[in-house]
Amino acid sequence: MTLALAKLAPLLAAVEIHKRTGGNASCVAQNKAFCPGWAIDNFDRYTTPLLNHLLIVLVAVGIGFAVAFGMALLSHGRRWLVPTFTGATGVLYTIPSLAFIFLLLPITGLGWTTAIIVLSVYTLQIIYRNTVAGLANVPAESKEAGLGMGMTDRQLLWRVELPLALPEIIAGLRIATVSTVAIASLMVFANVDTLGAPLYQQITFKTNIVIAGGLTILMAISFDLLLLVAQRLLAPWRRSSREATA
Amino acid sequence: MEAGHQAASVSYRDVTKRYPGQTEPAINHLSLDVPAGDICVLVGPSGCGKTTAMRMANRTVEITEGDILIGDTSVRDRDPTELRREMGYVIQQTGLFPHRTIADNIATVPKLLGWDRDRTQKRVRELFDVIGLDPGLGDRFPSQLSGGQQQRIGVARALAADPPVMLMDEPFGAIDPISRERLQNEFLRLQAEIQKTVLFVTHDIDEAIKMGDRIAILKQGGHLAQYATPAELLMAPADDFVEDFVGADRALKRLALMRVRDIDLWEAPLAYVGQPTAEVKAKLEGAEVPHALVVDSERRPIGWLSDADLRGEMVPQKPDTGPEPILDLDDVMRDALADLLQTETQYAPVTDAQGRIGGVLSVEIISEFLVSPEAKVEEHAAVERPRDV
Repeated sequence: MTLALAKLAPLLAAVEIHKRTGGNASCVAQNKAFCPGWAIDNFDRYTTPLLNHLLIVLVAVGIGFAVAFGMALLSHGRRWLVPTFTGATGVLYTIPSLAFIFLLLPITGLGWTTAIIVLSVYTLQIIYRNTVAGLANVPAESKEAGLGMGMTDRQLLWRVELPLALPEIIAGLRIATVSTVAIASLMVFANVDTLGAPLYQQITFKTNIVIAGGLTILMAISFDLLLLVAQRLLAPWRRSSREATA
Repeated sequence: MEAGHQAASVSYRDVTKRYPGQTEPAINHLSLDVPAGDICVLVGPSGCGKTTAMRMANRTVEITEGDILIGDTSVRDRDPTELRREMGYVIQQTGLFPHRTIADNIATVPKLLGWDRDRTQKRVRELFDVIGLDPGLGDRFPSQLSGGQQQRIGVARALAADPPVMLMDEPFGAIDPISRERLQNEFLRLQAEIQKTVLFVTHDIDEAIKMGDRIAILKQGGHLAQYATPAELLMAPADDFVEDFVGADRALKRLALMRVRDIDLWEAPLAYVGQPTAEVKAKLEGAEVPHALVVDSERRPIGWLSDADLRGEMVPQKPDTGPEPILDLDDVMRDALADLLQTETQYAPVTDAQGRIGGVLSVEIISEFLVSPEAKVEEHAAVERPRDV
């Protein structure tokens, strides 16, 4: 299968083209768990995949968020749309990522477009469900008070409902981002040079696995922490209520 | 609407509310007039439509038939959001926005009305004063305040744009009984100053009697069973439903509406320090109160003369029995009775604001009072009315 894939995705055909040079030759030869010397000498070969990886995650999550958020607003106050949207995004979510890439090949071909479509689509379910749940969890009395004091529906949405749903929306964004970082590695099959490319190119070279895998994990953790901080900053009332009850 | 508006009357004109798909209306031809500056309590069992009735006033529930006038203007001719911004709105769980600071919460309606920053801030500071809370709380979030404080903020928020009418939906329902009592008293004190027209929903008849200038009792199906002052309601319930709802202890409840000065007190035989006991004994013959009350030269009670005291020559400086409890003419009758029962005394001297004796209240006076209106009520009930299903 790998060979057939390699024909489709030229990046995969580059297997072993990078010579295992530099660093401690014996460490590399023995394929020890991690050869620091080799890592330092060859780190530049990871910079492009790293930046590509970062970019594709940002773009895909950005598009996914815009679409899912739009769907959530559309189905807000049109409750009958919620099962439809949940079902549709749920079905899309179950498509295996490789199959999804191949399904898109006849339409969008190899490359960034396909990869971004696949990654964005996977974020829809999580972001949509969290946004809908966040809006549904807004205390009824806050809405009642808002309307009773003369807010229009739009004012209620933007001044009361969305701010109160924000922690859950960001929670969805966190899960979506972390999983996108993981799936983005597979986009080497769409011929995009993400951190998946070096990973698959030298799948037997342990140091390579540690670096490419490690960078992926590091990116996932960084995004997660970043969004956690954002969540705290954007929802100060939650923090203070915890302090108050402490 | 600018701040500083006079209270407006609220008038329900044959208002009916039907929900689609329901055969029976939720509110059935409701008519009532609330004079400007009065508190009208809507009370009744759950499902009687009291909240629905209130909400039609600010059109959070639309009127099916009939009309509601605020002053002279029909609410149906008003834009709903504009109308709501002119009516204070307080609900049970406070409905404070958890994500906004206290100051921002209070400023909600002024912001919707587009007031500038300075005017809004000035008004927020004023309101902290009005409700008697520390303006330092302004930067906190609602969850950092106690339930009672939150409810006060809820009232302040409703008052922010100085609305002529306030809608209050079980505002003290979720508060513990002790804080509730305090909040009720605070609100009554506040209302004496601000004189808003208030529609107040509760399911608690005691709260209705305490808070209402007028009480509308609603029964199942949104029928108005009786609209009257608390005293009228207690003395002459319109039907069996009202009688049941007001409760068997309504005579006792009437005590909560009366002050000691409203009842005919007994006159105690007075004894002055140094007076010969023979004179006092003569006074005791045939007196309403069989004991003599020792008073000073200003007629302030010192104590009761005991039989042992009477065996002496002169009225002593310090009689055996102290005068406690001493009641005030302005005491609420219910509290006065509680004092009598608590100290296990039959009689208590009642004094005026200067502490001078004004008469004696006895348990007997109260029990006679309780019996007399009861008799009237029984008479009234004897006029048979068809019993409600």
